Amino acid sequence: MSERLTNDATVDIGLAALRSLAVATGEVFLREARSGSVEIKDGAIESVIVRGERGIGIRVLDEKRLGFAFTSDLSADGIRACADTARRMSGVTEPDDDLLLASRAVDDADLDIYQAGIVDRPLAERGGVALAVEEAARAVDPRVKQFRKTTYSDSDSTTMIATTTGVRASYRESYCGVMTSAVASENGDRQIGYHGEAARRFAELEPVRVGQRAAQRAIEKLGARPLVTQKLPVVLDPWMAMELLRAIGPLFSADNVLKGRSLFAGKVGERVASEKVTVVDDARKPRGLRSAPFDGEGVATTTRTLIDRGVLRGYLTSLKTARKLQVAATGNARRGGYGSPSRIGPSNLFVAAGTDDAPAVVRGLDRALAVTSLLNLHTIDPVSGEFSLGATGNYLERGGRVHPAQGITIAGNLTHLLNAVVGVGTDLLFGPAGFGSPTLVISELSIGGA
Amino acid sequence: MQLILDDNRIEDAISGVDQGAGIRVTSGERTTYANGNVADVDDLIALAGRAARGVADGGELHEAAEPHPDELPRHSTVAIDPRSVAVERKVGLLRRANEVARVLDPRVQQVTVSYGESVQEVLIANSEGLHRTDTRVRLNLAVHVVAKQGDVLESGFEALRGTAGFEMLTDEAVEQAATDAARRAVLNVGADPAPAGTYTVVLSSQAGGTLIHESVGHGLEADLNLKGLSVYSARIGQKVASDLITVIDDGTDPDKRGTAAMDDEGTPTSRTVLIENGVLRTYLSDRKHAEKLEIGQSGNARRESFRYLPICRMTNTMIAPGSSDPNEILRSVKDGIFVKKMGGGQVDVVSGNFAFEITECYRIRDGKLAEPLRGATLVGQGPKLMSEIDMVGSDLGYSTGTCAKDGQGAPVADAQPTIRIPTVVVGGKLK
Repeated sequence: MSERLTNDATVDIGLAALRSLAVATGEVFLREARSGSVEIKDGAIESVIVRGERGIGIRVLDEKRLGFAFTSDLSADGIRACADTARRMSGVTEPDDDLLLASRAVDDADLDIYQAGIVDRPLAERGGVALAVEEAARAVDPRVKQFRKTTYSDSDSTTMIATTTGVRASYRESYCGVMTSAVASENGDRQIGYHGEAARRFAELEPVRVGQRAAQRAIEKLGARPLVTQKLPVVLDPWMAMELLRAIGPLFSADNVLKGRSLFAGKVGERVASEKVTVVDDARKPRGLRSAPFDGEGVATTTRTLIDRGVLRGYLTSLKTARKLQVAATGNARRGGYGSPSRIGPSNLFVAAGTDDAPAVVRGLDRALAVTSLLNLHTIDPVSGEFSLGATGNYLERGGRVHPAQGITIAGNLTHLLNAVVGVGTDLLFGPAGFGSPTLVISELSIGGA
Repeated sequence: MQLILDDNRIEDAISGVDQGAGIRVTSGERTTYANGNVADVDDLIALAGRAARGVADGGELHEAAEPHPDELPRHSTVAIDPRSVAVERKVGLLRRANEVARVLDPRVQQVTVSYGESVQEVLIANSEGLHRTDTRVRLNLAVHVVAKQGDVLESGFEALRGTAGFEMLTDEAVEQAATDAARRAVLNVGADPAPAGTYTVVLSSQAGGTLIHESVGHGLEADLNLKGLSVYSARIGQKVASDLITVIDDGTDPDKRGTAAMDDEGTPTSRTVLIENGVLRTYLSDRKHAEKLEIGQSGNARRESFRYLPICRMTNTMIAPGSSDPNEILRSVKDGIFVKKMGGGQVDVVSGNFAFEITECYRIRDGKLAEPLRGATLVGQGPKLMSEIDMVGSDLGYSTGTCAKDGQGAPVADAQPTIRIPTVVVGGKLK
């Protein structure tokens, strides 16, 4: 292979290029990752993907203007060209007095997010996880006959950041996950059940649990029929609750708050949710799937209570937005990869476990809908907070299932949803995207149907 | 390149290059795909070694054929290469859109305008001697407007997207997009929530084609049909929709967002009639599934980039125009809902249940448009809905989007005429 610079040398050349361009300040971000996936079909491995990725993103902050460029060409010339492009891009943007790059050293907390060698495990072992998932799903019920897709995936990545203002830090992380969509059939009716889980360590994946849960999800939908249009209390199990929590994330973004795009703007210190609701963003959760020591700007991450027993306590910030709000930066400038600039987002965002016996709360309801899947979550508008989603569920009377439902909608507003929480279970779980929640019972939502 | 104007300022200016390759080796039923950023031939050879290791045990080896480069016809005209356009001109478009949106109404509180240009250079070569290239110049100018009235916030969105040259971004088109986004935000912030229930719905041709994409298109992808998992599996030659319905996927439609010269296995794109007057004709295929299902290669193997294996998916998908006068369709409804713009959608292909977002709609009273409604969703089951559509207009309108499947994004366009659905569930709120 052609002369390959080490990650440190790559970053050093980037910093030297920034200095020789005589820009005021600059930052080099590097991501190197090896990842893979194994997909199975009919009890055998069908496809194997081996992926390598290495590139840098350079930011220039000069005369209070920010420019960004990225490249996968990591020759010395490629790195210098990238720095020069970033400088040119800074000339296109407009000045902002509050822009700045990180200058405070990051602590070296061990978040236990790395297990060496995860992507180098034998194919039989990695594919074996996916096979075990399908086997467990089939064992649940003979009506589980097929799978839309079962995939095991893993990654090993290194993230480095260095600024001309004195920050230099790096971390490694590992990830492995398995997901499946089991298909159950009976009397010409066919239903799909999705479930996926992920971990930082290989041994922490539980393929049997994943298969069983997907199978149950598919089976419980068999024989589903519509409900009539009405208002009903709604039960969200941890997996469904985390899907809605993901949509609430943007409301906490200081960028959205400052630009008039968040319903939480100007509400710090006020009640924004039921007293039963406490929401925490914890980037320092040991083995957390979105835990990291620093964010995409090189700022040390934090653990923050955003809603404390219903009261809004603060926002998620980047360096710029923290300065505008005159608060400390929370380290929430998240970065997808070397080619994308950072955007404010949550780390491990979760609803804290409550004290309610969720099944008992549900037994106390004359009628309720327990949601089993949601369609169109990506269309929830975080600006208006409005949601109107396709759904399937179990229609319950005094906690007992009467029949499964499909072809219905549930609608409401995210802020209303937070205020309408009347039960918070003790069963906090974290999902593969880093979000967590216990079972939530909502007093009432609009159900659209026949 | 990407430029973003937000809060009246050009906040982001981004430029970059991502170069890589992927090597796919098949042996029996198993595929191994190694990919990564590559700088030179040495990197490529290393990749090939990694791909070959995945299938090293047994399997027949075939000698690779000599490469036979050929040229495919291009379906997008790029009169003005966006890379040759001064950045000031692009910034000027963003500023103009911002101004137009802001002056429309005092309730407009925030405007974000983004400009994205990407040039994807693709080369596909295989051991059968195929050797083809394609250049996909894609543009995306999007306007997002937030309106505020009392404590209520609403957004409005509009985008101009195509596989085309910079000439598509005329001042008039950009101003119209900004006006539509702002008008939509203001309309919604003053509208009542849509009432949940079952209604007669007229979908305007201007609403775009999310309906056909979600309710039918995904179910016609060959990979799902080989597994027998789609509601359309093993139904070629059968009646799957009303006589009024003809569905076409056309990767050659000039300058559209889903257009390309070839798919990502090197198969030329084509115009494929999927459903003809209600009868299922074929599926959207890649090479492997076309062979296994014994159907023609439609050129629908697409991938987001070299980092992914190609999968069967749509390009530009439409319900073909019918013969009804669109105004007559509206007049025919005494009480119902008129959908003027659709947003995103999703389908569960196994059950056929779909949902899609409505971003602009009105109540129909006595055949005329009445008050606007906000926050509506349409849900239904694909084949059932397609058999119930009872009027199809003579007009045709397009919309664009990015389709997500198996973790990969693909640029697509969808189109449909004005149609009437006699009864369908509309999601919304109850008082």
